[in-house]
Amino acid sequence: MTAPRSPLHGRKLGDRRVVVDRPHAAYFRYAGDGTMVAKAAASGPTSVVGKRVARVRSFIFGKPLTNAQEIGERLSKKLALPIFSSDAISSSAYATDEILRVLVLAGIAWMTWSIWVAAAIALMLTIVAFSYRQVCRGYPSGGGAYVVARENLGPNFGLVAAAALMVDYVMTVAVSSASALANLATAFEGIAPYKVELGALIIVLVTAANLRGIRESGNIFAIPTYMFVGMALLAIVVGLVNTATGAAHHLAAPPFAEQPGVQAFTILLLLKAFAGGSVALTGVEAIANGVPAFKPPEAKNAANTLIIMAVLLGTIFIGLTFVGLQYGVQATTAQGPTVLGQVGSAVFGGGFLFIMLQISAALILFLACNTSFNAFPRLAAILAQDDCMPRQFAFRGDRLAFSWGIVVLAAVAIAMLYAFNASVDALIPLYSVGVFICFTLSQAGMVIHWRKERSSGWAWRSLVNGFGAILTGVVFLVVAYEKFGNGAWMVLIFIPTLIAMMVFVRHQYASSARQLEMRPGSAVPQPHRHNRVVIPIPGVNRATVQALNVARSITTDIRAVYVSDDAEKTDAVRERWANAVPDVPLVVVESPYRALIAPFVAYLDVLDRTWPNDSEKPITFVLIPEYVARSWWERILYNQAAKQLRATLLGRAHTVVINIPYRRDESRAAASAAEVEPAGTLVAADNGRGH
Amino acid sequence: MPEAYTPVFRRAVIALSGGPIDNAIVRLALEVTRHSHAELIAVHVVELDWTQPLDADVAERSEDAQRVLDAAEGVAELMHGKLEAVLVQARDVGAAIVDEAAARDADLLIMGLPYRTRFGGEFAIGRAIPYALKNAPCAVWVVREPMGEESL
Repeated sequence: MTAPRSPLHGRKLGDRRVVVDRPHAAYFRYAGDGTMVAKAAASGPTSVVGKRVARVRSFIFGKPLTNAQEIGERLSKKLALPIFSSDAISSSAYATDEILRVLVLAGIAWMTWSIWVAAAIALMLTIVAFSYRQVCRGYPSGGGAYVVARENLGPNFGLVAAAALMVDYVMTVAVSSASALANLATAFEGIAPYKVELGALIIVLVTAANLRGIRESGNIFAIPTYMFVGMALLAIVVGLVNTATGAAHHLAAPPFAEQPGVQAFTILLLLKAFAGGSVALTGVEAIANGVPAFKPPEAKNAANTLIIMAVLLGTIFIGLTFVGLQYGVQATTAQGPTVLGQVGSAVFGGGFLFIMLQISAALILFLACNTSFNAFPRLAAILAQDDCMPRQFAFRGDRLAFSWGIVVLAAVAIAMLYAFNASVDALIPLYSVGVFICFTLSQAGMVIHWRKERSSGWAWRSLVNGFGAILTGVVFLVVAYEKFGNGAWMVLIFIPTLIAMMVFVRHQYASSARQLEMRPGSAVPQPHRHNRVVIPIPGVNRATVQALNVARSITTDIRAVYVSDDAEKTDAVRERWANAVPDVPLVVVESPYRALIAPFVAYLDVLDRTWPNDSEKPITFVLIPEYVARSWWERILYNQAAKQLRATLLGRAHTVVINIPYRRDESRAAASAAEVEPAGTLVAADNGRGH
Repeated sequence: MPEAYTPVFRRAVIALSGGPIDNAIVRLALEVTRHSHAELIAVHVVELDWTQPLDADVAERSEDAQRVLDAAEGVAELMHGKLEAVLVQARDVGAAIVDEAAARDADLLIMGLPYRTRFGGEFAIGRAIPYALKNAPCAVWVVREPMGEESL
């Protein structure tokens, strides 16, 4: 028993009981079979400063959550929809503009083709959504295109998909924060010079919200998404009613309207319009990456949410394009009103509802980056589990969020903002290139998946996915060709660079795993190498004695080494050592150049060289006595040489470095353990000096 | 007709035996005292025979004994409740539970009862519960686990 207790008397004569201590209970909980589960107290910091930092972290990011609470952090469909779909749904706010901007090059009359282009894109959306729905069900551990490509096309294609997706997620964050600021700057001109700093601030705020955990960030970001969906659908319904009742009339040309061109209306132009409008598909894959974030049944819920998202996105996109066509809206330059703005103004007449529509559109564009903050860290975590990224990316933080992925995404996106001066025009060509690579790979992977699986309906499913792969592949080529000169070439450099990095990391982990691997079933033999201990001593004191006692528990081959630049002091130390520890040799290394570390290391080298070549090198334990500092200023005063020595010796072959801490409150115990006379004199002579 | 009332408890002792009913009675206690914010004390008694001294180092080293209380704490944590866990060594389980409840001035003692039958089919209630029913100064609730299908 840790603290014997006297028995307590009961109500009846002779009844006695003893209340037993439970020393583990504050920190651990037994979970059976010799397993102890650490409680929050065992996982938290122990120092005063650490506790204060933890309190601040808890205030900003929330209290740490346990693994068991993970299920409570899972997302319902209604919360997952805004979290994973804000990027995709927000793109319906500007996709029609992209189509009209291309078609207008052939003249106003050809803009009526916008509805057919939108319909073709909606068809592609249907195919892609159908494909990702199968991905959710077939690969419920998440990972989306990466996992599909890895499993069906090979690991290297998986890395291509992963790299393309990661680049696109970074660009989504940079572009959405830059475009949100560009929108704000049109209303508040004063902020224009501070766009980069404000963009960085937005990213930091979204990062902080995401570090609070997926559910809390979902609660924060859900309202703008639903608000936009509601307002956009209302605008479409009112527009359709107006069309049906003949109340929809063509509007006058908006300010800053794109000037109609005189280009021939060719297949290439149509393809360019198709590629331009295909930005509507960005973000569609995010749900397939994050299947494990859903409440059970995860795969079913994710697949259903994906369909809801695709239906909403398709409806808003086609609806806005159709209603816009009825009102004769036109594409404008960056200074002019958007298609959404023109439609809203036409159907709501510029009143309260119009303002609400514009606010909701601004908010959803503002928060589109949140999808990346959920999808990127999950993808990075899966890659880390596959040893393609540093393993830190797979660790969950206090709030069960993949903190490393979140922070790295934010840091890279902020760097992009600085590099491109938060210019939307400069950033946009880099956007949406990668996503079509991963669409193509995932669809191609699904073709092979169906062919391998041969389940019911495999033939038509693989046909649909094959068609989708060709379609998205063509879009990728068109997008890459169109944007190449404007900066997309950088993406085509980033992606191979990322792949090379991931291959390098994978190779490193595989190599270390091979070196550490034990033969299965092999028994660990007794150690057969000779051990020796070398103790660098700063003098003869209680810390040295403590190190000596530890050394004696390891081996009998012990030597102390005293590096000295002072002959007088050396004699005193030698004499005291001979009296106190006559059985352990003291080697004095005189250092006329006053160096302490290098002569000691050189001595270890000499020791190694003197060992016979025909026998295995011994293991040299270097025991470094250290005085345990009790405050920050003691940390400055003591152990500087010990720290340097430790740093120098780390990684040295056949050498084990051990710190032997000496605490002031151990003085009595050490004094009694030390067989030196008189101990008090020794401490008085050398206490702390030289540490 | 006497007026129906819901009793309000300040402090309840839950006697845990390490059986499957422990979880249920901890949950019940947490539910019952949720609104009154009553103090909950889970007690597990390790019975020592006379071959060992009463303060022998038995329960503290027994992972099984500690686990009984740890499991109860786990249930309380999941239900966002608070529970003090007390491990006791005694010669007689019933007396130790009643004494602990009395010493802590508890106004409710909750005990679980597994459904067991002796050879011949007679229901076995054990010794601790009858002792508590007879001697506990506070209210005693006994929660019997449901009969197994083979008993029906």
